[in-house]
Amino acid sequence: MRLRAGARARERLFGGALLALACLSVLTTAGVVAVLVFEATTFFSDPLVSLREFFTGRQWTPLFADQRFGILPLLTGTMMVTGIALVVGVPLGLMSAVYLSEFATARRRRRVTFVLELLAGVPTVVLGYFALLFVTPLLQRFVPGLDLFNPLSAGLVMGFMILPTVSSISTDAMQAVPVALRQAAYGMGATQVQLIWRVVLPASLSGIVASVILAFSRAVGETMIVTLAAGQRPLFTLDPRETIATMTSFIVQAASGDQPAGSLAARSLYAVAATLFAITLALNLVSQIVVRRFRERYE
Amino acid sequence: MSAVRSPERIDLPDMLDVGGRQARRRRRTVRTVEAAVAMPVLLALLLLGALLFDVITDTLSWQVLAPAGSGRSFAFAEGFAPFGSWDRVMRLELAARGVPAEDIEPLLAAPEERRVLEARNRVEFMPWVDGRPFRWLVTTVSDELVADRPLWSGLASRRELLAAAEPGQVVVLNAWLDPAFVLRNASRSPLVAGLLPAFVGSLLLVGLVILLAVPIGVGTAVYLEEYASDTRLARLIELNLSNLAGVPSVVYGILGLTVFVRLMRLGPVVLAGALTLTLLVVPVVVVAAREAIRSVPPSLRQAAYGLGATRSQVVLRVVLPNAVAGITTGVVLAIARTIGETAPLLVLGAAAFVPRPPDGLLSTFTAIPIQIYSWVSENDVEFTHAASAAIVVLLAVLAVLYGIAYYLRRRFASR
Repeated sequence: MRLRAGARARERLFGGALLALACLSVLTTAGVVAVLVFEATTFFSDPLVSLREFFTGRQWTPLFADQRFGILPLLTGTMMVTGIALVVGVPLGLMSAVYLSEFATARRRRRVTFVLELLAGVPTVVLGYFALLFVTPLLQRFVPGLDLFNPLSAGLVMGFMILPTVSSISTDAMQAVPVALRQAAYGMGATQVQLIWRVVLPASLSGIVASVILAFSRAVGETMIVTLAAGQRPLFTLDPRETIATMTSFIVQAASGDQPAGSLAARSLYAVAATLFAITLALNLVSQIVVRRFRERYE
Repeated sequence: MSAVRSPERIDLPDMLDVGGRQARRRRRTVRTVEAAVAMPVLLALLLLGALLFDVITDTLSWQVLAPAGSGRSFAFAEGFAPFGSWDRVMRLELAARGVPAEDIEPLLAAPEERRVLEARNRVEFMPWVDGRPFRWLVTTVSDELVADRPLWSGLASRRELLAAAEPGQVVVLNAWLDPAFVLRNASRSPLVAGLLPAFVGSLLLVGLVILLAVPIGVGTAVYLEEYASDTRLARLIELNLSNLAGVPSVVYGILGLTVFVRLMRLGPVVLAGALTLTLLVVPVVVVAAREAIRSVPPSLRQAAYGLGATRSQVVLRVVLPNAVAGITTGVVLAIARTIGETAPLLVLGAAAFVPRPPDGLLSTFTAIPIQIYSWVSENDVEFTHAASAAIVVLLAVLAVLYGIAYYLRRRFASR
């Protein structure tokens, strides 16, 4: 098609503008990586810090006079909250996915999905408030020695936060199992329960695994619930009753405190953020690979 | 692909063994499993219910006050006037404090005097005062709080509170969430702390984020759907978008802190917050917009091309108008995300205490979730009540937004 020169230039400009907008997101990632890499290298090149101590040290006290930079307490804290969240959220999420995909009528499914979306839509600061002021006092009646700030209640509430993630992705995976497979199973005399256990779950395993990994990544990066309810005291422990700190809650604590920019304490938050970013990025990539590589193809 | 899920789904063995014991046992197992896997939904509902119940009851508390004012309360009808309750109740209160009748009007009329009065006194509507329902009470900054009991425990011990109250003290059921709470400036004193600065801060953020994120998000979606062929660049952008959606929001906060606040020397201001949140919600808009654009039938595009339209004309006059409902859904969800997001703003350095609403894009600010966080971390019973009242406001706003998104999606889906 022939266009006048002016029209052609306009078309070019329009396409170019769209491309520029699309590239902004790549710039964002580049910005995140550049900031984290640059600041973290500056942090590690400080004589007071060593990479080895960072990954193996059991003390994390950048905000005290005697500064120690061992990230293990933050990692154990994060993993403890995340672990509790997964123990709660994954089974519940998978069960509701089975319900949605295999049992619920279309109408029921819409309603249940709506409830789960509501749950996913509650701001995490509200969930943190709930964990601190409702769940913790409740748990303190049953769990002796439970601190006011503890990973137990934070993890429990976070489990419900990740439930919708697990559920929605797994439901999609289960619904993608072809009708032919289901009919074949029924044809061989399987009951519905046998169908779920031996056909639907194995056939949608890649989607289920991906949903769990994504939920894991979301739990690791979740900030407000842990900041409010799990505390800000880096402690190398695996006791879920004690106040701990996570990577995210340390970032909030360090950033909202008044450390002078450029000080070692302020830089340490970039090292923590870089670790956090690396972990979540790895998890996201793994979940994408799982979906792409191990998806059962039905042609 | 949709699975077979019709009620007449056939269990062949059952048909051969209709009413048999084995078939009945099997059906029972299936029903048990169905009930079991439906459990989490019930739990989720219970949790949501408990959350709402907890938050709403936390906005009410029984209090014993030692008032610095007259300590008298006034009937609802006595003090109520549309938009003028403050003046009417204040007149009654000043009279009760013993101010001569002829001095009251000049006191309320003089701007300077009025400002002082407004700063020190608060006209509150209480559901219950000293045994009488629905009263106005003027509380002041110098009131002393003798006791504060949560609604339910207090219900049992109300009599006890009344009996224990010394002469001059007032026992009230204080509703923290009243219209004045939303319209009042912040304060160091929980009794007079209001949500206005945070509310305005959140509104400003939402406005800016829409202005920035909608063009970026929709532009990206149009590029990916209508322009990009399967080039390396397009695949990079796509991969990048799906990974950006998984980046924890605190990390965005750190990006904002480093680039906007420090490198660009903006400081922790509204604009810096909005830019940071824009980066955060762009993937949300992109995903929704792409889905909407993909659902525009190709025949429409082909018809437009057949009439000699250029690509930009097809995009602007055919694709986008037909995708508007889906895009709007995405925008509404992005707004909801903007309003509820706390961590990035906190890392950015959004101030916990901002006495007045921001007066421009370059002034420091706070937002509703930040205000909630800082009130909760005050670790003070009364600030907790203020936080719960703020949560109710936040959840109400979100409920409206999700309602709009739900409605749009249903209309969109039915077409």
